[in-house]
Amino acid sequence: MKRKILWMLLSFLLVASLVLASCAKEEVVVEEEEEEEEEEFAGFPRSETLYLAQLTGRVGTPDDFNDLVGWKWTDRGMQNIMNEIFWSIDTVGNRIINSLANGPPVYSADLTQMTVTLWEGVYWSDGVEFTADDVVFTVEMCKATPGMRYNIEFEVVERVYAADKYTVVFELTEPMSRFHLYFMDQWGGCCIMPKHVWEDVEDPLTFTYNPPLSLGPYVLHSYDPAGFWTAWERRDDWERTPVGMQYGEPGPKYVVYAAYVDDTAKVMGLALNEVDTGFLPLEAMKAALGASDYISTFRPDYPWMIGGLPWMGGVVFNTAIPPFDNKEVRWALVLATDIASFFATAYDGVAEMSPLPISNTKLYLENYHEPMLEWLNDFTLDIGNGETFKPFNSEAAYLLAEYAEARGYPVAEDPKEFYGIGWWKYAPDVAATLLEKNGFTQDADGEWLLPDGTPWVINLLCGVSTSAASTRNSFAAAYEWRKFGIDASVKMSEMAADLGDFGDFDVVGEWVSNEGLGGVVDLYINFFPWHSKFVKPVGERTFSRAGRWSDPRMDAVIDALAVTPFDDTERMVELGLEGLKIAVEEMPGMPTLGGPDFYVVNNYYWTGWPDVDNPYNNAHWWPTGFKYVLPFLEPTGR
Amino acid sequence: MRFVRRYLVPRLIQYVLVICLGITVVFFIPRLMPTDPVERVISALEAQGGYLDPAALEETILTLRETYGLEEGLFKQYISFWGRLFTLDFGPSLFMFPVPVFDLIRTALPWTAGLLFVSLLLGWTIGNILGGLTGYFRQSRILKIFDGMVMLVRPIPYYIMALLLIIFFAYLLPIFPIGGGYTVGYKIAFTWRFVGSVLKHAFLPLLSLTLLNAAFRHQTMRLLVQTVRDEDFIHYAKIGNVKERTIFSRYVLRNAILPQITGLAMSLGMIFGGALITEIVFSYPGIGHLLYRAIVNGDFNLIMGITTISIVAIATGILVIDFLYPLFDPRIRLK
Repeated sequence: MKRKILWMLLSFLLVASLVLASCAKEEVVVEEEEEEEEEEFAGFPRSETLYLAQLTGRVGTPDDFNDLVGWKWTDRGMQNIMNEIFWSIDTVGNRIINSLANGPPVYSADLTQMTVTLWEGVYWSDGVEFTADDVVFTVEMCKATPGMRYNIEFEVVERVYAADKYTVVFELTEPMSRFHLYFMDQWGGCCIMPKHVWEDVEDPLTFTYNPPLSLGPYVLHSYDPAGFWTAWERRDDWERTPVGMQYGEPGPKYVVYAAYVDDTAKVMGLALNEVDTGFLPLEAMKAALGASDYISTFRPDYPWMIGGLPWMGGVVFNTAIPPFDNKEVRWALVLATDIASFFATAYDGVAEMSPLPISNTKLYLENYHEPMLEWLNDFTLDIGNGETFKPFNSEAAYLLAEYAEARGYPVAEDPKEFYGIGWWKYAPDVAATLLEKNGFTQDADGEWLLPDGTPWVINLLCGVSTSAASTRNSFAAAYEWRKFGIDASVKMSEMAADLGDFGDFDVVGEWVSNEGLGGVVDLYINFFPWHSKFVKPVGERTFSRAGRWSDPRMDAVIDALAVTPFDDTERMVELGLEGLKIAVEEMPGMPTLGGPDFYVVNNYYWTGWPDVDNPYNNAHWWPTGFKYVLPFLEPTGR
Repeated sequence: MRFVRRYLVPRLIQYVLVICLGITVVFFIPRLMPTDPVERVISALEAQGGYLDPAALEETILTLRETYGLEEGLFKQYISFWGRLFTLDFGPSLFMFPVPVFDLIRTALPWTAGLLFVSLLLGWTIGNILGGLTGYFRQSRILKIFDGMVMLVRPIPYYIMALLLIIFFAYLLPIFPIGGGYTVGYKIAFTWRFVGSVLKHAFLPLLSLTLLNAAFRHQTMRLLVQTVRDEDFIHYAKIGNVKERTIFSRYVLRNAILPQITGLAMSLGMIFGGALITEIVFSYPGIGHLLYRAIVNGDFNLIMGITTISIVAIATGILVIDFLYPLFDPRIRLK
């Protein structure tokens, strides 16, 4: 009996071992055919290697470099080191960098044709020259392959052809003044693929494009099959890339993007000089600064952050459901918010504020914020009973400065330089008047009741990351509104984005308008999702903003912007101002703080990072423009 | 023959039924979730901001649903799934399309299995031996002190324990790495250098899991031994001048270990679910984080792949225990 059992057990274990043994994964270094003869790679010399903490974390498709299908964790070096688009954006310097294109797009007068001239002398990493044929091929491939990115977008391309070796002409089926935006994006845009590799691919949807070819100054060296790191090596012919041609040799010989799942690990890695950058929440950033003298931020002291980035945080009202479908209720909530207290709660006062649904980039400040100051000061609300109220507070920056000083932080002589032109007044009595005008009442405890007499409960939806601006905005707003007497609470969910898209929320913490490009005055990108044609009822997925707000006047602005030539700055600004005024009146979302971005760099091995004294580019290591920072980084010799 | 008919065959039928039922449940439940894998891909693209034409997104969703095979009826998908199951073809991951689910599991599972298997066995062995000694030799001062230490360690939440180990042994005394499965840049191969790197990176995660596992086993074994040692047959053995060591090892320990063996089998099966917190804290490659992402992103195929393996592993573990139990407990051995 014992023997029988033992035999059965041994047989089972043998089978199980064979199954598990078959699970062993093969080596994944790119040049597999040379492995056995090559000397074993000894690891990356620290003094020659730049280690970057990857923003989007562990890569789910580590051996797949096909950027034109689905989501491939492109910030692991694909969009920011390897691939190129026509134009990259420097959001700090507010400029467009010519990447593959050697100048801006040229549109025909009727906006149905776009011509792009390419740099000469750019080569793929396998030595084949990059030409207009690669662009033509890429666009035609996307257009012909359902499921590929830009398959639908390029339906508007009637014909694309190479006028000569370095000139591409796009003929469009309808007038479009912003067709070029598909090739100009912080998160990659349509990356151009090598025709000589892809033309023989049977199924572009499942093609992993491994090993990939590079137009950037680095090529793929190796990667972790579990997705924790991706390593790149500087090309020997770096001078035959747009980066090398314009800015010279990139400093690091190797660049490694590594996934740190936990902020604590990032801080320790920075302190031990194992990683050179880290994107951290405010508290972790302070911990990192305290852990090592070699760690620095964009500004040496408070407020540490870059500022002036093109995304605008706040909370968005679900305008499809009562009572948020009433703009006076929305305004009441804004006036019930003490912005100084809000900032203290959300970010310890470390953020810029904006009264408008756009942030404080240099171009936005010059073209929109400052020109609107007079209008904002005169802007008036009708609060009923023949009374009016001017809600704008041009001195709000001083409230934040007061808080910062009380915290012991150094404050600029003119607080408006950092905090912005102002915000809305903290006027709970006026907020109460507005609510009462609309049938709201208060119970004996001062808690607000809806017009039907039931308690007013507001659920604010946000994601689960406590460091995200959306989460911090939500908690700060809930705190302010609870002070005012509303039963406001926060619901954190992994599915916040989906719930928001389907309208399953009251108020959601998110960008109050679409994220801008930065580097341009054009507000079309910020506004276009507000167009009524994209709004869907609650319960259906919307491709508009989650708040589902639209307005015929804003539709007219968006339609006008869509046909405004990209270089007609004056008209763009005029329309932008008009749109902003509509957005202020309607207040579909409460704008609060512009994307506070806390990142740190470690200067132990590498210096030359952009900072407030030398803001030559945006040091964020995930956008397409990061490859243009690399030539400025120098080894310390340690 | 009687053994085969009355013991083996019913056990095997039960084994197969449990697996079939489990897999069926696993097939349908993720599809009842509100999360849609295609929507999650679109959300991932949208989350990065930039210029995404809403009209184009809407069409892309339709195309992707067709590409992923989600337009087929549920019953057709179910039949198709069983057809592919026997070749371990779980289809492509929907969120990490077009990577085959089997490839994802094949990459992650050895790391999880290696780490959890070793930590489980070590913790089980150490915990049971020390727990048994502590429970039997109640007068020993050293064992009492040790028991006190275990009582201090046991309530520490795993996340805190793991962080403490990292802080002490990777940060303050940088002996071990902060995280990862092996040194960045090394090739995955059976070389001394790679294996050494894996062991070094695995040490802290292994220690964190083993410590708490051993503490748990220690306490349970102590209680079991304390119960058994007061049984009449133990007193009889003592009166009969049986050696203390023999009483402990062959009478007390052998009887007390039986529930622990069942617990071990169950735990071995659960290895295939991974250790999510370990993988997060130590940035350790494993199947736990893969499963978490699959659930969050509504990746039906990946959820099914991982849970199918888990179901088979747990059912197999129980089956193995059913076969092994007669070896340990003659009282239930069939004649």
